[in-house]
Amino acid sequence: MPELDRRDFLKLVGVGAGAAAAAGCSDPVEKLIPYVIQPEVITPGIPVYYASTCRECSAACGLHVKTREGRPIKLEGNPEHPVNKGSLCARGQAGIGRTYHPDRFPGPMLRGSDGKLAPISWKDATELLATKLRGGAGNAYLLGSDPGPTASGLLDKWVAAVGAGGRVVYEPFAPEALLEATQLVFGVASEPVFDLSKADFVVSFANDFLETGVSPTEHARQLAAARDIGAHPEGGARFVYFGPRLSMTASSSDEWIPARPGSEGILAMALARVVLENGAGSASERTLLSGVLDGFDAERAAARTGVDAKTIERVGKALAKAKVPVALPPVGGFASNRARAATAAVLVLNQVIGAVGKTLALLPLPSDGKRASYKELLALVDSMKSGKVSVLLVYGADPAYSMPQTTGFADALAKVPFVVSFASSKNETSALAHLILPEHTPLESWGDAQPRAGVRSILQPTVRPLQDTQALVDALLDVGRAVGPEVAAKLPTGSFRTLLEAAWSDVDFRQALQRGGVFTEKSGPASAGLSAGVAKLEVAEPHLEGEGDYVLLALPSPLLYDGRGANLPWLQEIPDPVMKIVWQSWLEVSLETAQKLGVVAGDVLVIETGGQRRAEVPVVPRGGLRNDVVALAVGQGHTQGLYASHENDGRPGEARGVNVISLLAAATDEMGGRAWLTTKAKLSKAGRSERVAFTGANDNERERMLGEAIALSDLLSGKSVVDPEMLGLAASVKERLQDAARKGETAAPPAEVPPEALGRNGEFVAYNPTEDAKPGSPYRWGMTIDLDRCTGCSACVAACYLENNIPIVGEEQSIRGRIMSWLRIERYVTEGDVDFIPGRPPHSTLERLGHVGVRHLPMMCQHCGSAPCEPVCPVFATYHNPEGLNGMVYNRCIGTRYCSNNCPYKVRRFNYYNYGLDNWPEPMKLMLNPDVTVRCKGVMEKCTYCTQRVEAARQPAKNEKRLIRDGEVTTACAQSCPTQAITFGNLKDADSQVAKKGSDPKRGYHALHVLNTRPATTYLAKVVRGSVEV
Amino acid sequence: MTPPPAASVADMIRPVPLVADSQVNRDILAVMDRPTMPYWLLLGFLVVFVHAAGAVWVYQVYMGLGIAGYAHPIFWGVYIVTFVFWVGIAHAGTLISAILYLFRSKWRNAINRSAEAMTVFAVLTAAQFLGIHVGRIWKSYFILPYPNQRGLWVNFKSPLVWDTFAISTYGTISALFLFVGLIPDFAIARDRSTGWRKLLYTALALGWQGKSKQWKAWNRTVLHLSGLCTPLVLSVHSVVSWDFAMSIVPTWHATIFAPYFVAGAIFSGFAMVLTMMIPVRRIFGLEAYITDYHFDNMAKFILLTSLIVGYSYLMEFFIAWYSGNEFEQTAWWYRVFGPYWISTWTMLICNTVIPQVFWFKRARTHVPTVFAVSIFVNIGMWFERYVIIVIGLSHEYDPAVWGIYTPRPPELMILAGSFAFFAMFFVIFIKLFPVIAVSEMKELAIHQKSHAHEGAH
Repeated sequence: MPELDRRDFLKLVGVGAGAAAAAGCSDPVEKLIPYVIQPEVITPGIPVYYASTCRECSAACGLHVKTREGRPIKLEGNPEHPVNKGSLCARGQAGIGRTYHPDRFPGPMLRGSDGKLAPISWKDATELLATKLRGGAGNAYLLGSDPGPTASGLLDKWVAAVGAGGRVVYEPFAPEALLEATQLVFGVASEPVFDLSKADFVVSFANDFLETGVSPTEHARQLAAARDIGAHPEGGARFVYFGPRLSMTASSSDEWIPARPGSEGILAMALARVVLENGAGSASERTLLSGVLDGFDAERAAARTGVDAKTIERVGKALAKAKVPVALPPVGGFASNRARAATAAVLVLNQVIGAVGKTLALLPLPSDGKRASYKELLALVDSMKSGKVSVLLVYGADPAYSMPQTTGFADALAKVPFVVSFASSKNETSALAHLILPEHTPLESWGDAQPRAGVRSILQPTVRPLQDTQALVDALLDVGRAVGPEVAAKLPTGSFRTLLEAAWSDVDFRQALQRGGVFTEKSGPASAGLSAGVAKLEVAEPHLEGEGDYVLLALPSPLLYDGRGANLPWLQEIPDPVMKIVWQSWLEVSLETAQKLGVVAGDVLVIETGGQRRAEVPVVPRGGLRNDVVALAVGQGHTQGLYASHENDGRPGEARGVNVISLLAAATDEMGGRAWLTTKAKLSKAGRSERVAFTGANDNERERMLGEAIALSDLLSGKSVVDPEMLGLAASVKERLQDAARKGETAAPPAEVPPEALGRNGEFVAYNPTEDAKPGSPYRWGMTIDLDRCTGCSACVAACYLENNIPIVGEEQSIRGRIMSWLRIERYVTEGDVDFIPGRPPHSTLERLGHVGVRHLPMMCQHCGSAPCEPVCPVFATYHNPEGLNGMVYNRCIGTRYCSNNCPYKVRRFNYYNYGLDNWPEPMKLMLNPDVTVRCKGVMEKCTYCTQRVEAARQPAKNEKRLIRDGEVTTACAQSCPTQAITFGNLKDADSQVAKKGSDPKRGYHALHVLNTRPATTYLAKVVRGSVEV
Repeated sequence: MTPPPAASVADMIRPVPLVADSQVNRDILAVMDRPTMPYWLLLGFLVVFVHAAGAVWVYQVYMGLGIAGYAHPIFWGVYIVTFVFWVGIAHAGTLISAILYLFRSKWRNAINRSAEAMTVFAVLTAAQFLGIHVGRIWKSYFILPYPNQRGLWVNFKSPLVWDTFAISTYGTISALFLFVGLIPDFAIARDRSTGWRKLLYTALALGWQGKSKQWKAWNRTVLHLSGLCTPLVLSVHSVVSWDFAMSIVPTWHATIFAPYFVAGAIFSGFAMVLTMMIPVRRIFGLEAYITDYHFDNMAKFILLTSLIVGYSYLMEFFIAWYSGNEFEQTAWWYRVFGPYWISTWTMLICNTVIPQVFWFKRARTHVPTVFAVSIFVNIGMWFERYVIIVIGLSHEYDPAVWGIYTPRPPELMILAGSFAFFAMFFVIFIKLFPVIAVSEMKELAIHQKSHAHEGAH
């Protein structure tokens, strides 16, 4: 054995001795049964990745499902997938929890006469449903989300075969108006796909594309590319956001223009007019639009939108000048009863600025599968109400939660004699269903998705189903075959898996599985003409119901989205990217409104929107909101679900927060699509207050070198974010050297200055992070975080939670500040004054209307070279490892907590309770990452720079007798980041990405650098591009 | 060098009553008589209370420190506050016994025994909190540098390791000091008692016969122990203060901390001696031994240390302003006007304003006033540590993670339990051991007789 050196020999001896010792222990006997025949692909300890597709939203990002010993333990982005290119948002990552959710149904359940669910076999359940269908399948309807093209087609075949009444596709935030408006403006049925990556000017009309848009990770990546300061030293794309609220997307903009909600169409028209006046657009467009744009001169538009005329002129001129501009129409919560007209106006603007063919592709609509239609759903609700529906089969959607009360969905559902839910875990609809036929979760399923033409994405099972479930299509096919032989004859033969393979027979199925799908980038026509129908476009303010003084914004939550994320504990516990609140509902009001009502954060307000619609919700005043609106996020207010309701706080059945949908009027847009901006609200004090679960204390950075920014003009003139004169050490060294020079002495460096801090001529050089590793070690791990790319989306936080087995603590503990996240995103709003604050510091002090200045600062362990935590630990539980990492030995920790007290970044967390054992209800323990220790009560923990990933990369490198290559290892946070704001690597390798980015002399700085902690994490300051100039 | 005038010497030793030796024996040892019903009730209450607090602690070990009020980023709270408080209390004993012994301040004799006992019990109480506060008590032996096969060692850079050594050294020396001082008194008690007490005192007296050789050896031992203890008085609380000063937390990281903590410790220690001795004197009728003169002297000490502590407070504020350091300034502003203002103002008023009444001799010798002030000082000094520890941690460098700490009932129960724990030992002590050093009182009386004799000439 020539390769076995002394160290390896000792390691092997150690393993043997450990095994012998373990065998000798008298702990209770647990039977570990090894694989008798080991599966070929599984090597214990080595993860296996499967390509699949995320089903958390319609963007359909590609997944790499990391499995260990047959269990999926983490979802990562598929780097080959054109939608997400390797990144994955927080919602997508949290989706893994659906498979291991304690709320999952163990198998088919039938509601007895006592109203309780009792298990039933698949055979009996199938027969029961078949019996119901035999008696009149014409009154049976399918209602659910889009299950993907193949399943969709099969469901339609099923509907035809059994002779069911029909199938309705339902998606609460479906972009229906966008398709309708495309038809109206361009006269073609196509899907508009925006590409921001090449844009030089982006205007968003209340489109929160970074958090809840059509494809958040994709658009975030594109925006970051368009604004990359390395590729575009002059600043890259300018970004203007029109909208009433400083949302996450707005906080990434250069200029936030607080326009009235619902005025997006008018603004787009006014801008189109300015653009045309300034020479853009063709003559034919000018003639076609002259009539429509007549009423939209800047002055009149200003009065209607709340944006002053000069701003409209200025932005319009800038748009006209821009070479590759793009305008994003309002979607989601801003869809009003005039959504189609507003969207059409924005598409018209896109046409006149010449976006079509460059930044706006009009892709052909996928031919297969139905699209979501709210109109059909309302028709179905009507027939349910009139008792014409005898069987309703609900899958993949939760209409009992997400339909407005005013549509009477609950009453209508009560009139359906037999409701079948295919939900895999309990939700509001399944609570009203008679029969539950639980579906596989996406990680257990076959399937496919087509987010847009040319992108065919595939799902494959990565684990044997944990519960007794069936694929939706298989369950329905079984039922159909049980109905009778004549139905069976009309149905396709085989299982869903074989049918899927058949549907993909045009390509190499095996290769598609390996790559996650088949991707061919399609582009639309290079240009398009306006349809004549545009001349009849009627753009106006939306009609809002209700009497109140405030417009109620019901915006999808960045994390819970339309409420589907509410039962995933990570999404509840990751702070809202804007307000930094967890587990709760809150009503955002402007500071002025709060003053007028005499309320402070936490005071409960009664919100009334007409009729019987009222709710009580704690208020959070903020400066980043127009005075005439109040905002309440969609997503909370569930009464079912361990985490979605208050069940995990010991109060099952009690709604967590407020479901804002129950406050909304049931309005639709011009073509019957769902409207969300529908209602005015009346506010009054409830006379009590609640504790708001804030996780950020104060948004004033106080010039402390935390979340830094640098003006673009300063950057261009060669200034840097760290003024060397500001460094106390530098100044004193300089002074001494000057003194010495004056006295004619040789400039010997002062004794207290470490020699490495001085350059060749005795001048001060900034701290070099490569130094803080053992001399001789080839590695010094380090990180750079580019604040200019960070949008605050919190994908990294989710990645950290799931990679590192970080426990969830719940609402009550969160209120007490005991969240365990190793990585948090601090949100600062400019620098602010360093005034002293009497009393308790308010959460928000610096947001102002029309003022952006937001810096998102991802904060985790900085792995300081001179770490304050290390010398104070009495037992060396935290120590500096030879590769520069600040290690944390849980087994050695006795819990004095001194390390956290002495950590200026406050990134250490303490295990107050036995979270490791108690906060992972069965079967969630199965999803723990076996490479990361589950911590016991009483010990400290913190970010390790994903040291387990470094170790995983070390062995292959060692086998090949080389160093770990740059890019071979990255942290979970960096891996998930849609904008690649985080870079991880070896600082000692001068060619590594991290070393190159971190050595940016102008934007690079270290957090709290005055403390001389010598962090391994280098931040790159956000670039303030300033408001748009012509 | 001319000897001091006789009158001044007489003045110096005035507090000693002119009583016969046997009377001293009787008066002081009377305290140790058969316990009465109220005594048993008090002791019973204390024992039960200590066990109740112990049960809370066991529950905390079982559940985890989550039942206390800790919340990120405030990871030290009532337990460390109370630890520092009791270490502070432990200072008066050694100061009185050792330093005043070396300075030959004879007035210390009436109070030194109880002060020494207090020291030992206070250290014992404080030491409990080192265990109560850690996350994993079952692994807390890791903090001791014991040889082990794994080659693990403690981090001698950590002030917490220094702390462990400082406290254990101090506990050992002060217990030794108390015991050595007690030996002649054990002998007296042995000679007067019967039954199991006789056996106990015989064992504890280590064969003391009052021979001059023994007295000589004893005197030497006490002298040497005093010499050993004197630096400890200064070092122990300096080390405790470095738990804070060695960190980089704004308002903790200050060079003033060691002297400031030592002065505060003596301040609180004297207050606690008064709080304990005034009721004992009253209940057991020791007015003849602990006189106005003692109160006068102790009150002067409190006044002096109050001024030192007050100066330290002012200096901290001044330095925060003068340094121009924004972290410090914000933290100091927050300390005085932030949500914890009640703690800060309680500290300032109790520690710097109220003791000023001791400028007046009438206040210094008026026992109820002295008692009341001692209580205020105890409260003020507990809050001083609360202010330093909790407020300091609440408002550090990163504004996004400023926090608020609120003590929770389990912590308050254990805090109350610590007082019961301390009082329990003291109550047992006064029945088992002479609460005033009999031999030293006699020695003083002899001196005084001879001086009185001289004076008569």
